[in-house]
Amino acid sequence: MVDPAGLQAKLKAMSDDYAAKLPEKLGQIERAWEQLPEDRWDDEGFETLHRMVHSLTGSGKTFGFALLSDVARNFEEYLKQIMQARAAPDEDQRKHIRIFMSELRQVVMQTKVPNQTELIVAAPRANEVARCNCIFVVEDDPDFAELLKVQLSYFGYEVGVFGDLPEFRRAMQFRPDVVVLMDVTFPGSKLGGIEAMKEIQRERNVPVPVIFLAAHDEFPMRLEAVRAGGIAYLSKPINIGNLIDHIDTLTSTLPPVPYRILIVDNSEALTSYYAAVLEQAGMAVRTVNNPLDVMAPLLEFMPDLILADVYMPGCNGMELAKVIRQLDAFVSIPIVFLSAEDDLDKQLFAMGLGADDFLTKPIQPQHLVSSVLSRVRRSLKLRSFMVRDSLTGLLNHTAIKDQLDREVAQAKRRGTPLSFAMVDIDHFKQVNDTYGHPVGDRVIKSLSRLLKQRLREMDMVGRYGGEEFAVIMSNTDGATAVKVLDAIREDFSQLRHLADGKEFAATFSCGVADVSCFCDATKLCDAADKALYRAKHAGRNQVMQMDAPAVSGANFV
Amino acid sequence: MTDKLTRILYVEDEPDIQTVARLALETLGGFTVEICSSGNEALARAPAFDPQLILLDVMMPVMDGPTTLGKLRELPQFAFTPVVFMTAKVQPGEVAGYKDISAVDVIPKPFDPMTLSGQVQAIWDRCHG
Repeated sequence: MVDPAGLQAKLKAMSDDYAAKLPEKLGQIERAWEQLPEDRWDDEGFETLHRMVHSLTGSGKTFGFALLSDVARNFEEYLKQIMQARAAPDEDQRKHIRIFMSELRQVVMQTKVPNQTELIVAAPRANEVARCNCIFVVEDDPDFAELLKVQLSYFGYEVGVFGDLPEFRRAMQFRPDVVVLMDVTFPGSKLGGIEAMKEIQRERNVPVPVIFLAAHDEFPMRLEAVRAGGIAYLSKPINIGNLIDHIDTLTSTLPPVPYRILIVDNSEALTSYYAAVLEQAGMAVRTVNNPLDVMAPLLEFMPDLILADVYMPGCNGMELAKVIRQLDAFVSIPIVFLSAEDDLDKQLFAMGLGADDFLTKPIQPQHLVSSVLSRVRRSLKLRSFMVRDSLTGLLNHTAIKDQLDREVAQAKRRGTPLSFAMVDIDHFKQVNDTYGHPVGDRVIKSLSRLLKQRLREMDMVGRYGGEEFAVIMSNTDGATAVKVLDAIREDFSQLRHLADGKEFAATFSCGVADVSCFCDATKLCDAADKALYRAKHAGRNQVMQMDAPAVSGANFV
Repeated sequence: MTDKLTRILYVEDEPDIQTVARLALETLGGFTVEICSSGNEALARAPAFDPQLILLDVMMPVMDGPTTLGKLRELPQFAFTPVVFMTAKVQPGEVAGYKDISAVDVIPKPFDPMTLSGQVQAIWDRCHG
């Protein structure tokens, strides 16, 4: 097979080669920039410049230069904004571009040839590669197996069905990354499913996650199931909501959104060093070198933690903390000071002003990472109690409204589309009255889960009220939002809910509004609400979009 | 069982990326890789090479990835060949857009040479699972 050492050597040679060519590439970028006319828009010239920067974004990290990719990506984003306007950059923008150029030059100059460990560190974590979305159902009752397959597929899972054990065993040899739903009893063997799993687990270093489905609930069977690596044991009839809960916890290996850290330090060399250390640990980092420039990145980046230097010209770290703490949205943000200061009195004084902790420079990269991580985690946990709805784990009413304000502001600034939707379960009171509140809660949970799974990670879902949900879809126009939500509506109406051994279905109505027609958060919200009202009146179980309001002055016509 | 993935066509204009991708896919993945530097070259050479899977860079001069995909799809031979976009633009919305025009998946750039062939194999398995 492949000789790993030889491979590393080849990769290293390629990295060296790439690094050697970087100054020349940078020169080309600089020339492309200098050749652009100042007084008019040059589509082709700008396109070329953009493509060259883009190519650095797309290649740097592959050769072990992660920082290069990141700096180029920021630069590229900025160029894209200018390209959308199609106007020759003004003096301010030219200044910005020159700053990006010099950052790029700095990174290129600092580019040492990366060693092998750096190349390996750049590899994505295991869970990003093997994202498990596949479920094997092993069940000898074909009707029940089909039902499971259909229901699970509504939640976005790929499902393979096996009617007998030998067929399943063969398939398992090719799939390391599945969740197994295993019937316990097979024809001729009361514990056939459990025995088969025990055999498979013996051959594995990492046990296969398996959930047993059983016709009987007996302790000895449960014990055997646990011994076969069973994570859950569900007796028939199976409550689909319950089953999905279990599967969700097993498959939630999706990489979490990275923690956002804002570094405020006037030394550019240090900020880029800290940024690199934290980024290597999987965090998203934004840096500010002049504390007076902190507001824009603060509001736009919405950091989870701020790392600030104590001594900075213009505004020292303690003053900075005081200012930040006076902003409503940042009352609870952890602020950690980094300083060469080891005077305890001064440290305590800083803490009184709103700093949460002091880290003394020079700090070991590992210490920096673990200090930052533990503070961010704790603060997010606390914040989640404040902003999350306890039944569904979705954002609560206040949190989703705050988020809408921010998203609308951002969409307007960037000129990107944005849609807002209100979703309301139809005749929910009847569900509660007929089957009781616990069943109603399950219906709410199943819709919240469906929304979370079917929308993109960047979309935001909140529980707006009892059976009402709010969805923010950034970068999405109204028509697309309607299409996506209508598909979810269709699938939700197909879901079967279980109550007292009986099945029933529920539907929802939905109103959508597009930010291009309603330009502030309040108007957008009202419009979505009106559209929802129309959907209800048009017979429920449908998605409606609110058109733009009539242009004022129309009454003169 | 379905066919084993062996022949991959990679369309990419950057010589550096071409080399490292060849190493990753041939040495590490054991695939046979044909590399084309432009959409036009791909259209000319794909029929004879008869790839089972095509990797397409999105941003290329003259003819970009999506256009190349459109032209490939016009050839009956490639009407259903799985095509994967390689791009540094990984806005989720854009990914959905690429899938709308019949790409089976998107591999974000910069890719990791050590795991590229695994990603490609996983996509192939998913298409033929």
